[in-house]
Amino acid sequence: MNVRTPRLGGGLKGVLATTALAIGLTMLSTPTLAATPTKGGTISVATIGEPPTLDPMSSTADLVGILTQHMFETLYTFDAKWNVTPLLAEKLPEISADGLTYTIPLRTGITFHDGARMDAADVVASLKRWTETASRGKQAAKLITNIDASGDNAVRIVLKQPYAPLTALLAMNNSAAVVMPKGKLASPLTEFVGTGPYQLKARVPDQYIQLTRFEGYKSRDGEPDGYGGARKQYLDEIRFVPVTNANTRIESAVAGQYDYVDSLPVESRDKVRAGRSELVMLEPFGWPRMVLNTKQGLMADVKIRQAVQLALNEEDMLFAAFGNKDFYTLNGDLYPKGYPWATQLGAKVYNKGDAAGAKKLLDEAKVANPTIRILTSQQYEFHYKMALVAAEYLKVAGFKVDMQVVDWATLTQRRQDPALWDVFITHSPFLPEPALIDFPSKDAPGWWDTPRRNQTLDAFNQARTPDERVKLWKDVQQAVYDEVPFIKVGDFNAQAARAKTLEGVTPAPWPYFWNAYKTK
Amino acid sequence: MLRYLMNRIVGLIAVMFIVATIVFVIIRVTPGDPAAVMLGPEASQQDIAALRTQLGLDRPLPLQYVTWLGQLARGDLGQSIFLNKPVLSALADRAEPTFWLTLMSLLIATAIAVPVGILSAIKRGTVLDQSVLSFSMFTSSVPSFWLGLLLMQVFAVKLGWLPVSGYGGPDASIGTRLSHLILPAVVLGVVNSALITRFIRASMLDVLRDDYVRTARAKGLTETRVILKHAVRNALIPILTVIGLTTALLISGAVVTETVFGLPGVGSLVVSAVLRRDYPVIQGALLVIAAIYVLINLFIDLMYMVVDPRVRY
Repeated sequence: MNVRTPRLGGGLKGVLATTALAIGLTMLSTPTLAATPTKGGTISVATIGEPPTLDPMSSTADLVGILTQHMFETLYTFDAKWNVTPLLAEKLPEISADGLTYTIPLRTGITFHDGARMDAADVVASLKRWTETASRGKQAAKLITNIDASGDNAVRIVLKQPYAPLTALLAMNNSAAVVMPKGKLASPLTEFVGTGPYQLKARVPDQYIQLTRFEGYKSRDGEPDGYGGARKQYLDEIRFVPVTNANTRIESAVAGQYDYVDSLPVESRDKVRAGRSELVMLEPFGWPRMVLNTKQGLMADVKIRQAVQLALNEEDMLFAAFGNKDFYTLNGDLYPKGYPWATQLGAKVYNKGDAAGAKKLLDEAKVANPTIRILTSQQYEFHYKMALVAAEYLKVAGFKVDMQVVDWATLTQRRQDPALWDVFITHSPFLPEPALIDFPSKDAPGWWDTPRRNQTLDAFNQARTPDERVKLWKDVQQAVYDEVPFIKVGDFNAQAARAKTLEGVTPAPWPYFWNAYKTK
Repeated sequence: MLRYLMNRIVGLIAVMFIVATIVFVIIRVTPGDPAAVMLGPEASQQDIAALRTQLGLDRPLPLQYVTWLGQLARGDLGQSIFLNKPVLSALADRAEPTFWLTLMSLLIATAIAVPVGILSAIKRGTVLDQSVLSFSMFTSSVPSFWLGLLLMQVFAVKLGWLPVSGYGGPDASIGTRLSHLILPAVVLGVVNSALITRFIRASMLDVLRDDYVRTARAKGLTETRVILKHAVRNALIPILTVIGLTTALLISGAVVTETVFGLPGVGSLVVSAVLRRDYPVIQGALLVIAAIYVLINLFIDLMYMVVDPRVRY
């Protein structure tokens, strides 16, 4: 179940549990227990495309995470309430009093797909590769002094300074700190050997990726709990099939050709409902945002950024993008209600559409050429539609707009160069830990790097207790609203479809099938 | 004959060189970075730069070009950045669906075009002729993706007779794989039949006006014999040309149809490679396609000799 309230321990636990219950879910499909799960069967999952790699460390692409999380496992993962929970680790890390040393006990009896037993040496080697290969690992590496084994069944990570997001980074499933055999860590990876419930049998690019049940898998005890808990392996085989054309995915869902169809455009809802598949709605899924180039150009001036923030009407942008209020929520906070990171700070600057106020700020900035270059792509149609509406509101506020609509490959290249854009549009799922979002990295396009940003983020990341982190997150969020490195547009939902004979699938931002089973 | 063949082979090499150069220049100046695409949206600039170095993409363009030509001279089309396998191997993986799709489409196109074109010519000016002309105008105008989606709606979604997309899983039988090709083959066959129909009709009309056809009728031959033994044979050369060109077009990948039906053929490989900026695949695939065009043209030219004994090289 997709209630997103990360555990924080202590007194907040009861409050959050109540909150989680109070929130409820409006998903149209929940994992039902009508039929007793039976072992067997093969499912086909239609995805948005071919993953660029099967090495979960080397890419932040969601598609890579979705696929590889079935083959590889991390030390930690997230439970149904988005708390960090052990996976290959035996339990949560023991953290020294000064917050610098994390000792992670490992589960024993874990076998890799090639039959070898996992030990601390494998974990240490994998974590070192993660710090050298994965962007999240490199982010953590700046704060890591050493990684070594602490006996045969534990590893130790020593930090330069306290870093609260570390376990969340170790739990994430893309740019992931997966554990692989120490002798099979070549870069690029040539063998894909993990500890996960499914193993790679065959990959024919752009046709299918075939995973079969790993009979030597050792599940955690108990019951499934989000990505954590037990992983039941009912299915014999899972096949991921790239179906790049969105219309084809829709028709496939209507026809019931695949057992699961990911990423369906929201406007297809009624059509899919009328077809042979069940609708799966994830509410909320994520948030689109306009990232501003604070390093160079027009947006380097904070007054201009504040003017842009004031000028925008996010309600109209969301309506243009999604067309139906069932698919979005107006919310200026960086996290939706139900998360401990949710605040009420966003309302002050959100959805104002104040052209006069924006124009005043623009005039005060005394800009010779108020042309904003908006970089967007129709790869994500909703990005493009939001950009169109934003452009009109900005023009009313006195800006000129140069809309640059390019394909995704061009966008990913151009946004690396601060000379080429002022605003680009992106989105991400709601991530359980703010440190997993890209903006806290100074290297992320946007390049937000100010004394206030550094001070608030450092304090947030070095806080020692969950309560303290929640309190300090408000400072980070206020810094975002005041310095405007990006502008959140709102919350939006995601849609998928599953066969009526497929049960046990929990709506999730990165769908997983290890607890799924087929019914007659 | 040998001299003719040698000249054509020299021409082939020249065409390949020109195509290789043009393709190299165009894709290199097109914005987009394969390293950024591969690493995902949250990769840092340093990571992207490191991958570019690893892939040799940071070397000067003239050096990359010379390296590329050197590889070509050795018959090496390079290594796919995205698929991490030789380009030739990537193309070979796509050959099967493209081959069967081409064959089936061609069969459907000629099965429609040949009788219809001949009949239309024989019945020139009649309602039948006008209907054929209208139908071929319609099928040549209709976008293939529209026709594809329409057929998909009816036969795959509503009736459930055929699959919507894909090419079958790892254990799919030949029959299952061919069933995935039926709808796309019908789309391509119908769309391509238009041009072939018009060519057959025009060619037949020319031939039916000739004196020897009148003579054959005057000799008392049946109309069927006149048409099939005399007229069609002499109308074949332009018909062969258009069928040859259609074949080359189909082999090079019916990009839109493959995308709509999710077929892993050569066309969709090229599209994916462009979107991913997989330079070696784009270059290699377009080079192979150019070679196929030239070779098919050569084959057709040689077929003229079979069809028309007066043609000699």
